[in-house]
Amino acid sequence: MRYAVLSLIAIVIAMIFLFPFYWALSTSLRNPIETFTVAGLGIPWVDFQPTFDNWISQLATAESRRAMANSTTIAISASVLALILGTPAAYALARFGFRRIPNRDITIWFLSQRVLPPVATVIPFYLVMRTLGLLDTHLALILINATFVLPFVVVIVRQTFLDLPVELEEAAFVDGAGHFTSFWRIALPLAMPAIAATGLIMFAFAWNEFLFAITIASQEAITIPVQMAGAVDTRGVQFWFMAVRAMIAMVPPVLIALLAQRFIVRGLTLGAVKG
Amino acid sequence: MGYRQRALLGAAALALFASTATAQEHVRWNEDGTVDLMLGPDYDDAVITTTREELGTLFGPDEKPFEGVEISITVNASGAKGGISGPLHAFRPVWQELSGGRLNVVELPFGEHYTKMMLDLRNGTGQYDAFMVGAFWYGDIAPAGYGFPIDELMASDEYPQWTYDSMPPALRTLHHWGETPYGVLNDADGQVLYYRKDALTDPEHQEAFKAEYGYDLPVPPETWQQLLDIARYFNGKNWDDKDAEPDSGMVLHLKVGEQGHYHFQSLSASFAVTPGDKVDQYHNVYWFDPTDMTPLINSPGHVRALEFLQELHETGPAAQVGWSLGEAWDYFLRGKSVFVFSWGDVGSLCQDTSRSKIQGVCAASILPVSEEYYDHESGEFVKAEDRAPVGNTTGGSWHGVISNFSANPEATYSMLALMAIKPVSLWNAQHGWTGVDPGYSYQFIQPEGEATIEEYEKAGWHPEDVKTYTQAYYDTFYADTMLAYLRIPGSFEYWDILDKNLSSAMSGEKSAKEALDDTATSWEQITDRIGRDSQLENYQAAIGYEG
Amino acid sequence: MSWTSRIRFVFLLPAVIWVLAFTVFPLGYSLYLAFFKIESRVEVTRERVPVLDEQGEPVLLSSGKPRMQNVVHKTQVTTSEFVGLFNFERLVGDPQVATAIRVTAIFVLVAVPVELALGMLLALLFNQKLLARPMLRTVMILPIFATPLAVGYLFFTIFYEEGGPLGFLGIPFLSNPDWALFSVILVDVWQWTPFCFLVFLAALQGMPDELFEAARIDGASNIDLLTRVILPLLQPTILIVLLLRLAEALKLFDVPFALTGGGPGVATQSYSFLAFRVGLRYFDVGYASAMAYVLLITVMIIVTLFFRRLRETYG
Repeated sequence: MRYAVLSLIAIVIAMIFLFPFYWALSTSLRNPIETFTVAGLGIPWVDFQPTFDNWISQLATAESRRAMANSTTIAISASVLALILGTPAAYALARFGFRRIPNRDITIWFLSQRVLPPVATVIPFYLVMRTLGLLDTHLALILINATFVLPFVVVIVRQTFLDLPVELEEAAFVDGAGHFTSFWRIALPLAMPAIAATGLIMFAFAWNEFLFAITIASQEAITIPVQMAGAVDTRGVQFWFMAVRAMIAMVPPVLIALLAQRFIVRGLTLGAVKG
Repeated sequence: MGYRQRALLGAAALALFASTATAQEHVRWNEDGTVDLMLGPDYDDAVITTTREELGTLFGPDEKPFEGVEISITVNASGAKGGISGPLHAFRPVWQELSGGRLNVVELPFGEHYTKMMLDLRNGTGQYDAFMVGAFWYGDIAPAGYGFPIDELMASDEYPQWTYDSMPPALRTLHHWGETPYGVLNDADGQVLYYRKDALTDPEHQEAFKAEYGYDLPVPPETWQQLLDIARYFNGKNWDDKDAEPDSGMVLHLKVGEQGHYHFQSLSASFAVTPGDKVDQYHNVYWFDPTDMTPLINSPGHVRALEFLQELHETGPAAQVGWSLGEAWDYFLRGKSVFVFSWGDVGSLCQDTSRSKIQGVCAASILPVSEEYYDHESGEFVKAEDRAPVGNTTGGSWHGVISNFSANPEATYSMLALMAIKPVSLWNAQHGWTGVDPGYSYQFIQPEGEATIEEYEKAGWHPEDVKTYTQAYYDTFYADTMLAYLRIPGSFEYWDILDKNLSSAMSGEKSAKEALDDTATSWEQITDRIGRDSQLENYQAAIGYEG
Repeated sequence: MSWTSRIRFVFLLPAVIWVLAFTVFPLGYSLYLAFFKIESRVEVTRERVPVLDEQGEPVLLSSGKPRMQNVVHKTQVTTSEFVGLFNFERLVGDPQVATAIRVTAIFVLVAVPVELALGMLLALLFNQKLLARPMLRTVMILPIFATPLAVGYLFFTIFYEEGGPLGFLGIPFLSNPDWALFSVILVDVWQWTPFCFLVFLAALQGMPDELFEAARIDGASNIDLLTRVILPLLQPTILIVLLLRLAEALKLFDVPFALTGGGPGVATQSYSFLAFRVGLRYFDVGYASAMAYVLLITVMIIVTLFFRRLRETYG
């Protein structure tokens, strides 16, 4: 009995949290005039006649395709760059002993970068990118996004390495391997699932980033969130388009989250809590 | 030659023919000296006819005067069929074919456009050749020398021909800074009143109104006070049978950070501007005292106007405090409110049946006036019966200004001028999606202007609606007293502060007087920070101060 | 091979240098901007010169006239004037700043505890074998990863008062200043309660069953179980989640930007939103930098408060 009640509650809660996604889908399938006035629960075919015009018009434009391409390129590159920089650092903090500043303090230093308010660095970044001639380029956003997710990588992957028994690498030393070899051939492959999952989560964060994207990009490097803000024109928000763009925006990170499910908790708490 | 070779040759010839045909698909040079500009299937294969003289001597059947040149123009993002950006997309292939050049239409989100433009200009980046600016940005562009003056280009017969003569004086000023012209003709913005003709002319309602208020229901209302009575009468009744819910009197788009403050500007003009013959210290001023930059925004006239707007707000849905244009217009277009006062887009949206349920009963008029106005000189309110209406050019009047950092101002000008020639400009005004609203003599319907109702009807307008629509704009732009337009450095910041305080007043957090007093205080700080003397100079230049 | 070999720097330093370059340097620059009044202008002069070919001869057009091109001379004139604490002093008297602080404070002090409490409640509720639980876990991941900006715009349609899905409640979600702030909080709760739920659930799962059994054998009631056993054991987790949520909540920007534009009035103008507006719309760069710095210091103080706990976690 209790079991049934709980299951019911679970379903209700799931529905509450899923409702906005459903509503986005419903809005995207409606004619503009019905955006705010649809009957009942806005169920397609039941409460209104759905149309795919909004989807077609949004997907067909060069701007949409460019935004999607840009978001993909920037998010992937930023994640990869952060992984390349962060994984060795994570290994170092997990294995080696640092004396001047203890490992954990260095780790916390990396962690504290994560809590930096972006608004504090937005203007300097703009000015620097301008000086370097990197405004409105993919490179600029890749560099910036990599900076943002790097602390995650370092702290999370460090935890992953800590969970690997050190004996494996020490056995390799006995066989004459150097640090780099044991890292590359032993530790890294073993940690790869976790590293991959981390990379996926970083991709999602970079994908969702808005403040820097809207400051740096104006045409070439527009990402999906920026393009979404562009659905606000002089006539106000065009919600029917907005809903489509919102769905397009949310699909990749959500899919990734589903792929990396097992790793989510560890990823989001920077390794503090094992998932 | 064998069969296969002949077939190949034939195919090659066909391909060559086809490619030449496609390469020449947007401009047709006719024998009689006229030129057809063809917009292609994306734009319903529209054809606009002009003459060779009108196109300018640089363009010709095989002339590619700007071959290899690439230019970028920024514009508010609205897509290929959206306001202001739409025409750029539509005419891009035409221009590219005429000039041999390439045009990048850089669409920027409305909120970001100003920022990106300023970042580009202040840092001299020079990434863009021209900007489709809002007129209120001139204060940040012209005095600093960031705009490219177009007087020489206009005088030459090499470029597409257009003139400021067809512009009402108030609009003409907005395209100049002092005597120097910077802006190329495009859109003309102002706010007019839209009303539901069917509701106001309904005999039952007219009788009931007279019984309740004691005078005949004026169609359209001539004073704001009359409008308030009418709005109150209709508010809360289900006078529109399209749905079962009660309807409203007035609907406003008050959302902060968007275009809510324009409502206040247009409405308060007739409360707060003291009419007169010249622009001197007391007459025809609205924003600041032209002798010392003291803000006028909290004058008794302004405060009374805001209090009035608060009362008017109550005849509309409470949610409108958070509504921007889309939601508010949608409410009116669905038939839910008797009045809305806003830009020309509403008139053309009324005709779009995918958005509107009120085609044919969507009438327009110039905004009403207030029965009393504040005299700045005497410090008293003056009651005036039968006043002349007060006009406005509220809004962006979005048009092209060339960047002084552009390496190709001639090519850029040729594109902007192409959109400014009479037949193109007329076509833009007649097709509402372009976001280009009528304001020029050839766009108004005879006898005021040169266009005919039939032309508008062909473009999909209901004849009754379009008559009042163009008349309303004509009256608004040619009124004797106009609301002065703020175009000094930092206009954006001044307006943003006003906007936030207005929103606080409308949502009940501050009283009208508090909100405007706070605005005045903040404005003084901004003026001091930017530099009072330079601001005073710029303000005097911007409003045409005559001492 | 020892774990103190020099090579450890090779592993570590690239990331460290990167962070120094991309974080510490901009922060320093930002501080500079806060202490100086910087006026930047560009002087433009133009001239038309003939286009020359490889031999230095002017290229002629078909008409015989030389082909001209435009040359733009730009000189950047920057004046910086040391203004000391001027920008910081302005912060103190500015009503907009005071409001923004109040808005952000209310938001943080309401949203974060609600998320934690709700997340904990749900985690406790579903900490048992339930067929529906994996489904719930999966569903709860989605809001966390939804693009915050998109979520803001979406909720605008959901909160629409004149007929949206919640319109029947008759609540002025977006037109009343207090309700608008509540709406922003509601959106955040929707997006981040799942995060708390998932983390607490994972932590609860990590607790061995024997613990519960032992406590029950000792006669503990459910409440005792909760307060004496579970919560103390979960304390590290709770603190980490609290720290992470606090830090993120203070950065609030995307949702007010999309949902309310900071309004009505300034009722939902968060601190970051104001700093953004001042810096990138009014171009009052020094003032915006000062504002951002105050936020930064606040966040740093919070991190320091949690420092000891962090040391234990990462030690």
